[in-house]
Parts: sequence; C-alpha cells; structure tokens
Amino acid sequence: MVTQTIISTAEEVIASEEALRANAYALLATLLRTPPTAETLQDLARLEPDDTDLGRAIGSLGAAAAAANAGAVGEEFHDLFVGVGASELKPYASYYLTGFLYEKPLADLRDAMAELGIEIADDSAEPEDHIASLCEIMCGLITGAFGAPASLASQRAFFDKHLAPWADHLFEDLETVQSANFYKPVGAVGRMFMRIESQAFEMAA
Amino acid sequence: MSESQKLTSPERRSFFKKAGLGIGAAGVAAVGLSGNSLEAAQPESPKDRTASSYRETDHVKKAYETSRF
Repeated sequence: MVTQTIISTAEEVIASEEALRANAYALLATLLRTPPTAETLQDLARLEPDDTDLGRAIGSLGAAAAAANAGAVGEEFHDLFVGVGASELKPYASYYLTGFLYEKPLADLRDAMAELGIEIADDSAEPEDHIASLCEIMCGLITGAFGAPASLASQRAFFDKHLAPWADHLFEDLETVQSANFYKPVGAVGRMFMRIESQAFEMAA
Repeated sequence: MSESQKLTSPERRSFFKKAGLGIGAAGVAAVGLSGNSLEAAQPESPKDRTASSYRETDHVKKAYETSRF
C-alpha cells in the first residue's frame, strides 16, 4: 500500500494531487471571474517557476503579477471580458461553440448542473457557462464542495462535455490577444492545465 | 476503499508531479477561491437559519434608541 499525503477539505479527505488540481481550477476561476485585488497580486507574485511547461507558465504569471498594479489589471480585465459586444473575448461555452450566447451548450450545462445538484447563487448575473463557473464546478467536484467528492469518471464526463471542446481555444486566445498583458500567462497556465487534465483523464481510463 | 482513494493511481500521481502541478498549486493555495457564484442545491436547514439569525447587539440597540423605535 502506497503511503499518501492527505489534505483535509471542508467535507472530506482527498489525496494531495487531487487537491492540487482543485487549487489550479480555483486559481483560474478566481482570475477569470473578477480582476485580482492588490492583495491577490501580491500572493501571485510569490509564484515561482520550475522546469516544466506548466511551471514556467506559473513563473511567468508570478512575474506578471509582481510587475502589475491592480488598477491597470482591472482595466485590462474589463477590455478583455466585460461588456456585451464590446469585450475582446467572450469566455462562454455557448459563444465558443456556436458563436452566440445562451445557446444549447448552456442548456446542456444547466441540465448537468441539475443532475449534479449544483445551482447558481442568487447574486450571480452572468450565464453559468462562463469559464470561471466551469472551473469552479470542476474544483467543487474534486473537493466535494457540492456534496461528496465526485468520482473520477464523473469528473471526466463533465470535463469532456463542458470544458474540453472549447476551453483550450479560449486560453489560446487569451495568450495571443493583443490587449492582454497580465492575462497572457493566465492563458498559458490555463491551456497547459487543460492539456494535463485531458492526459490524466486518459490515463485513468 | 473509498471512491476518493481510488482516484489516485501511482501512475496518475507521478504524472501530475512531472507535469509541474505541485509547485504552482503550493503557492497558489494561498490565493484561494474568491466569490462563491455556485452552491450545492440544498435547501437551507432550519438550524443554519438559527445560526445566522438576527441578534440584538448593543450597537443595534443604540440604533433603535436614536431612531426612536
């Protein structure tokens, strides 16, 4: 029997690498939901690179955070993501998969959420197929925030249907869009993490 | 063996380690998840309501006094 490090979450005990996955999703959700505060930027500035692709991207994010100020990042966030019709990117599954908001991918997601027993909190106004919501759902499935931790098969089913078809395209766009600065390494981290997740799910099958 | 333990084959664990997930997540943990736009679809239990229910603190009493309630 392999000895494992375990990390306690609110609900259950999950293995350390699963907790790391949850943290990565939480990070992406945090950064894509709202602009970071000065305090969050300070935390991010402590991130250091290692010699993996993801580690280098994380190092770049740390460096970008160290060089950034919250006001400028807030403006960048607004230009990239906020404003119907006006934003550079529309980080919604429906938009990426059909070219329009509020299409079938959103309906499919709502069905999946109902099945998983997840609902949107009252104060959230944007459609649920926003990338941040999807990362939040993955995080919650891993940690058991919505009940017990979901089986890997159930996590994979959600990932394959609701993230895999488009999330890497969004992250690529984020890496390359002209007006992005702080968010370029966020795109790189996201793209690489999505790739790692796909590969790891393959491995588990 | 619980479902969560079954998730972690040694192969999967070492894959994540080689993929560089550890480093980032270690630092990233401090950042945490901001905002909770999603929640478990469970009705609020009466117990929860009691826990967060209104309590009349001195501050509130004062406010009542000054507004002549």
